[in-house]
Amino acid sequence: MSEKMNFFERLQALDRRWIYLVVLLAIMVPLVIPFNSKTYVTEPSENVYKKIDSFTGRTDRAILMCFSHDASTMAELFPMEVAILRHCFERKIQVLTICFMPQAKPLMDYAINTAKEDYNVQSGIDYLNLGYKPYGLFLPIMLGMGDDIAKAVETDDQGRKVDNLPIMKELSNYNELNLVIDFAASAAVYSWIIYARARFGANVAAGITAVMAADNYPYLQTGQLTGMLSGLKGAAEYEKMVDVFAMHKDEYGNPDPREFSKEVIKNTWIKMSDIKERRYKTARIGMNAQTVAHIMIIFFIIIGNIGYFVTRAKKKVTAE
Amino acid sequence: MTFEFISNTVAAFLTLCIFSFLYKDNPFYKFAESLFVGVSMGYAIPLVYENAFIPFVYRPIFVEHNFLIIIPSIMGALYIFRFTRNLSWLSRYPIVFGMAIVGMGVPMSMHGSVLVQMRSAMLPLDNLNTILIFIGTVTILMYFFFSKEHRGLYGKITNIGVWFMMIGFGASFGYTVMARISLLIGRIQFLLDDWLGIMR
Amino acid sequence: MKRQIPLIIVIGLGFVFVAHTFIPAKISVDFYEWWQTWSKAISPFAVVLGVMSLFMVHSTKITRKVSNWQYSAVTLGSLAITSLIGFVWGTQEGTPFMWLFKNIQMPMGATMFSLLAFHIASAAYKAFRARSLEATVLLLAACIVMLGQVPLGSQISKWIPETSQWILNVPNLAAKRAIALGVGLGMTATSLKILLGIERTYLGGGD
Repeated sequence: MSEKMNFFERLQALDRRWIYLVVLLAIMVPLVIPFNSKTYVTEPSENVYKKIDSFTGRTDRAILMCFSHDASTMAELFPMEVAILRHCFERKIQVLTICFMPQAKPLMDYAINTAKEDYNVQSGIDYLNLGYKPYGLFLPIMLGMGDDIAKAVETDDQGRKVDNLPIMKELSNYNELNLVIDFAASAAVYSWIIYARARFGANVAAGITAVMAADNYPYLQTGQLTGMLSGLKGAAEYEKMVDVFAMHKDEYGNPDPREFSKEVIKNTWIKMSDIKERRYKTARIGMNAQTVAHIMIIFFIIIGNIGYFVTRAKKKVTAE
Repeated sequence: MTFEFISNTVAAFLTLCIFSFLYKDNPFYKFAESLFVGVSMGYAIPLVYENAFIPFVYRPIFVEHNFLIIIPSIMGALYIFRFTRNLSWLSRYPIVFGMAIVGMGVPMSMHGSVLVQMRSAMLPLDNLNTILIFIGTVTILMYFFFSKEHRGLYGKITNIGVWFMMIGFGASFGYTVMARISLLIGRIQFLLDDWLGIMR
Repeated sequence: MKRQIPLIIVIGLGFVFVAHTFIPAKISVDFYEWWQTWSKAISPFAVVLGVMSLFMVHSTKITRKVSNWQYSAVTLGSLAITSLIGFVWGTQEGTPFMWLFKNIQMPMGATMFSLLAFHIASAAYKAFRARSLEATVLLLAACIVMLGQVPLGSQISKWIPETSQWILNVPNLAAKRAIALGVGLGMTATSLKILLGIERTYLGGGD
């Protein structure tokens, strides 16, 4: 019992609070001392961008953003919501927002207010916040919108009758509301797939927490999901695509939006210092800390395993 | 000292109260946890009143005079009997009225979750990836067939399924790590940037 | 009768819903609209259940003065104050109600879940062991996906994000599809059991 512990045994018995301290430092340092890094854009994210961008300037098309999460997963989902809204406001893409959780309502308002700061957009004309509806109405409204959006939701967040609003002039059901993006930390997106997609052929995309991302690949392959943004990385990818394409400027600094191109996105580096507003690069800055944290976790797994195998080998020798 | 700074300080104090649990359980954490539960529930009540009771109950009955809505309103009010001993059966009515949509769930979930997935699992096996997906799906489904003992050739086949599942779980684990770290990054960004303003 | 009538409602309306799914006739659309309007009127009352449940648990703790009952008082007090503020000043942006949400509920909700980052790091160090070949494969796949997700992965080699995507698109897809098929069949079977009156747990206890 009194035998002195060797280095590896001490490693095995390390108090968890030291590990917590390392985690804290691994995240804090890259945030305080930022560095530039390249964001690799994946196909599921590209597909979301391309689908939304195809509605540019059209009054007979709109996207619906459904906020199905609370503040607990805001760090992952909020940057992607802001990036998509910014894309819509920049490219004059009509956007409707709705939520079925009371806790999601302020996040939805916050995302809209954050994104519209630089744009002269008006509720009911360029975008429409349908507000919070009780969860019991999730299925009735989702299915009702397949027939008539205005009848299904009735009023917006300001209590106005939806069918009188200019934005609704050419929008009646999922034929026009041609993409639904559900931002969720739950299985809410499957309801859209099972009901709205199967019954009305609605295009559904997911903006989800990374925890659920791996489970959705079968739905991407079948086309039940048009695209997917996975966690903070998905948000960073979308932020980059908006900067590279929607926000592109010509040589004189005038807005010159361009079509999505795989080659361009692959070869483009963006210096974080070139983007003045912090709200447009939150996810990409976060990904720097994510890099260090992932290396740390891999390092922990390796060190933990070395300690385990050395200790096990020693125990075997002692037993013999 | 601006109002925004005071607000952020309140939020930061409560954030630190929760983080204090990492050291050990303590009264600050317990206080924050209780406050969180109370505020969350208290928050939902006026919101439901404004966004559901007014437009779907009050306005149809008292403004539009659609008195038929009184019936579902009474049905909804039966929820309150859930916690009584003798009348709890009354609360079954609002529950079953919503539950009926399960009739639509049968064909829809069969279509969305089973048939479409099966169709995509039956694509022509014209490249290595589709062959691998096919083998993986079939061997895992065989693994979950417990009416036959997993021994001999059958055991070897189901073992292939286990390997596929391990890779799948590994991918999920990798993503889970990313998700958890992201949430912490969000909080640290709040403390360092919104509260202390030391991020460049 | 206390159980039978609700059961008849579920089965009866349930089968009408099955018909509604396949028949696009006007009567079917009218039925759905009627059901939708009534559901909307029922929906606000569900919140009462949550409030009553919370109130009963915590008020019992306070009246019996069980250990740490003071925290139950904090819960009920904050519930009452938040609601009251919402009713008095409204729930729009810029009201005290929203201030409470943004500076109390939101930061605490986010922080609760962020604690998991510490726990997962601790588990990575203390529990994730390559005890068998299968566990080693799991850890390897996890490490490749972790590296593939971050910018450093693509800077080390373009193969890392590409391998990560391949893992997700091929073996992971096969695994998750098989699981999804099982879940889908399970969901259909459960729905069918409710529809046929075999599954009745949602009715609760009692006669």
